Amino acid sequence: MQWNRKLINNLNWYIPLSVLLLIIIGMIAISSAVEINKVDSNGMIALQRQVVAVMLGIILIIANLFFDYRVFKYYSDIIFLSTAGILVVILVIGRTSSGWINLGLINFQPSELAKIVLILVLAGVIDDNQDELQYLIGFFKPITYALIPFVLVLLQNDLGTSLVFLAILIGMLFAGGANVRFMLLIFGGGLLVIIAFIVCHFWFDTPLFFLKEYQLNRLVVFINPGVDPIGIGYNLIQSKIALGSGQLIGKGLFAGTQNQLHFLPEKHTDFIFSVIGEEFGFLGVVLVILIYLLLLWQMLNVARKARDNYGRLVVIGISSMFFFHIFENIGMTMGLMPITGLPLPFISYGGNSMISSLLAIGLVININIRRKKILF
Amino acid sequence: MDRRIVIFKILIIAVFVVLIIQAAYLQLIKGEYYYQLSEGNRISLRPISAPRGKMIDRQGNILVNNKLSHNLYLLPNEISIEHTPQSLLEKLSGLTGIDLATMQKNFLMGEQQRSAAVILKRNIPLEIKVIVEENSDELPGVLVKDSTIRDYVYGELAPHSIGYVGEISLNDLQQFNELGYDYKGGDVVGITGLEREYEFHLKGRSGLERLEVNSRGEKINSLGIKPPLPGHNLILNLDMELQHYVECLLQEQFNYLREYAENDPELHTPEGVAAIVLDPNSGAVLAMANIPGFNLNDFAGGISQDRYNQLLYDPLEPLWNDPIKAEVPPGSIFKLVTGTAAVEYLGIKAETEFIDDSGKYYLPNWSRPFRNWHKKGEGKLDFVKSIARSNNIVFYDLGYRLYLKYQGEKLAETAREYGLGQQTGIDLPREVAGLVPDGDWKWETRGEGWYPGDSVNLSIGQGDLQTTPIQLINIVSAIANGGKLYRPFLVDQIVNAAGEIVVDYKPRLNRVLPFRDSTLAILREGMYQATNSSYGTAGKQFKDFPIKVAGKTGTAQTGTSRPNHGFFVGYAPYQEPEIAVLVFLEKGNSSAYTLPIAANIFRKYFGLESLEGEEETELAPSPEGAELNSENQGNLLFQFLYEVFSNDE
Repeated sequence: MQWNRKLINNLNWYIPLSVLLLIIIGMIAISSAVEINKVDSNGMIALQRQVVAVMLGIILIIANLFFDYRVFKYYSDIIFLSTAGILVVILVIGRTSSGWINLGLINFQPSELAKIVLILVLAGVIDDNQDELQYLIGFFKPITYALIPFVLVLLQNDLGTSLVFLAILIGMLFAGGANVRFMLLIFGGGLLVIIAFIVCHFWFDTPLFFLKEYQLNRLVVFINPGVDPIGIGYNLIQSKIALGSGQLIGKGLFAGTQNQLHFLPEKHTDFIFSVIGEEFGFLGVVLVILIYLLLLWQMLNVARKARDNYGRLVVIGISSMFFFHIFENIGMTMGLMPITGLPLPFISYGGNSMISSLLAIGLVININIRRKKILF
Repeated sequence: MDRRIVIFKILIIAVFVVLIIQAAYLQLIKGEYYYQLSEGNRISLRPISAPRGKMIDRQGNILVNNKLSHNLYLLPNEISIEHTPQSLLEKLSGLTGIDLATMQKNFLMGEQQRSAAVILKRNIPLEIKVIVEENSDELPGVLVKDSTIRDYVYGELAPHSIGYVGEISLNDLQQFNELGYDYKGGDVVGITGLEREYEFHLKGRSGLERLEVNSRGEKINSLGIKPPLPGHNLILNLDMELQHYVECLLQEQFNYLREYAENDPELHTPEGVAAIVLDPNSGAVLAMANIPGFNLNDFAGGISQDRYNQLLYDPLEPLWNDPIKAEVPPGSIFKLVTGTAAVEYLGIKAETEFIDDSGKYYLPNWSRPFRNWHKKGEGKLDFVKSIARSNNIVFYDLGYRLYLKYQGEKLAETAREYGLGQQTGIDLPREVAGLVPDGDWKWETRGEGWYPGDSVNLSIGQGDLQTTPIQLINIVSAIANGGKLYRPFLVDQIVNAAGEIVVDYKPRLNRVLPFRDSTLAILREGMYQATNSSYGTAGKQFKDFPIKVAGKTGTAQTGTSRPNHGFFVGYAPYQEPEIAVLVFLEKGNSSAYTLPIAANIFRKYFGLESLEGEEETELAPSPEGAELNSENQGNLLFQFLYEVFSNDE
């Protein structure tokens, strides 16, 4: 089913509108976080870059709408292998922890793309093997697919993003009708093993091959932020002060002292939500959460009404990805989750995150407008 | 399958509700608490150091002030990865021309103390500050900070009295803060002299600036200033002009006497010369000089260890303030004390006659004679003339008579009445007390009794007696003013920055001497004859002096083979004393050499013409400092050399 002007009538307008709203809120928060109000600020450059990323993302959305999403299932193995290949190349030649490839004008971060690729691949795998997922052996294939990017990204020391792959896997397996008892067995058991390793590390000083010391420290700080208030606990404490001091209505745009006086770390990227909380208060926080709720809610509606199980699974995967990002990022600013470097979708500054998030939304819209009941 | 999407929706709602509850907890319930924290985060209180009080002489000349200086720091934590401290210092040295080795040494020293900011060089010139700031991008972690340092306007003027400042020691930090003051590590405090003695007045009170800062502690905005309270100014009794004159005079004579002594194998090269000028009616110190001295400005910007060691280990001890710290036997000056005891307790009168037939004095059962400085006997002399001639034989006899009557006690007691063996209480730190030996002391330290020989030795100011120059001039002042032993004072008033008087030091009596006026009058008469009669020990120098001077010479033996110290203490005018003068020539062989110095000080004070050839040098502010006129310096000496041949003790 190629492009047809009438497809647009199927569009769930809540989705692009809520995304647009989030992007606008993000732009406002970023302009405060880069201190565009100050004479010597070069924050305008950051805003311009963000606008360029949004426009690139919109072009990708429109471009992808011309293809029926089912072509992605057809080519998914090739896309998956090439993405994994890029990740390996980065590991070998990159040697830096950021996992970025410099493509001249823009820095391309393959792990962002890998999330969407994994969703497209897993949707195909789960769709094709739905019956096997009632048995333990059936989990082997989807878990293997997910573990490849998981391990490659973990080796880049990006714990947050690698956990996103797990979230996508779990969400899609669950929605794909996998046996819940086996899921509990596998993921619950895995979690227990990891906990056991960490406990042994603390008690018996055994080596931890899957976590770097600083990543462990973040966990420790998450459990007890007072451990090192000017060292590793600093970010969390400053973030909580920023959020809390915003109180009900916030300090006002450009008036957040935690933000403007640089107490808040990574404030235009990872901790952008703290800026919103400080300058727009509880009302701003609730507004953002409600818009996310609306977006996820409508996406799940899209999933429910998807034309086929593949489309449904893709939307579930994207929802899981966003949900994990939102929960982890907002939770971390409030001290509910350990600190990782996950951006807040559509709001955090960063071209790669913005483009891949918009591409994901493009896929959702693609699936949305090609839903099963076309009434005319 | 839709059921699982519903579960997913429920999960999302549940998680978002948790997020909102946590947000409500942080922002609504604990919002006020976090708001206060955020306020505290951005406001930093920075102390503003108070300008240290000035020192001003009695004519209103500023002797000590403050000036801006720039210090060069390195912050080890802010050195970026592409630099090592070594490469950074090399670059810095290349850009500024500051000696690399000096900075490396300072850096290593600071690094050992693990300071956050290591001082590389204090007091750098403005040009270097500009160079460093212009190249700050290439010099990460290098910083220039402004501060004020002490400006000793005339660096070589009265360095011992004024004193210098330095970084507070750990000991002082504890001690001062226990006293209730608010000092911090790295504060600059007085180390010696008046800087030390009046530290708590000079220091002032730091102000505070409320700053809006970012998390790097950089200043964004000033939110208000509580201005510092400048330290109090000291108005000194010191007279800059007189002080400078005395210092030049002493330096000139010191240079000459050293040169002279080096050419004469009989003479020991003098090791220092000091003078004190004070007002005998109040104890106000008008001048107090000690040669050799040093330049206070060497200390102002932080002295290098090399320079400090050089001063510290100089055999002439330029850092040592002899007027209050030299503990030496007073020699014949002490005859004033023995004389007091003789008149008070032995009934001696001015006209009481003594006989010195051989220049030797024999104690019963003691074969070795005690000798007079004058080898032949002087025949019959009365008590006044005995003082004027400083005849040892007479005083040996008085000492022995005091021993017979009171053992060792009465003479020691009289000495203590004059303030010997105690600090005078001059407003300078670490004054020494000296020692008045007596029977108890001897028993405790030597384990033996007080012998007649001890009393005889003590009677002419020898033996174990230890006095300081300031104690001796205080004795003469008290005799001159009719018996009031004042506490010598360098500071007259303490005023605040607005000029209001905070403390006004009235003359303070240590005690009134318990001696009869007639007794003191005999001593005054003796001192008058010493300087005004042809036979007086200082007669040649002073008998034709336009102002009537009274005084006493003293040559103190420091041991049989060691060189003597020379003293002169006197006052003028005889009838109504205005000043007292003491000159102390350390290991300078004889008191005779002190006389022309004392005479010139009197001349200067009373505005009399200097001796021919004596030219006064002009006092110029540092760094040129007090330069000396080295020409014509021999004249004085030649003039009195033949005088001393007939009249030395």
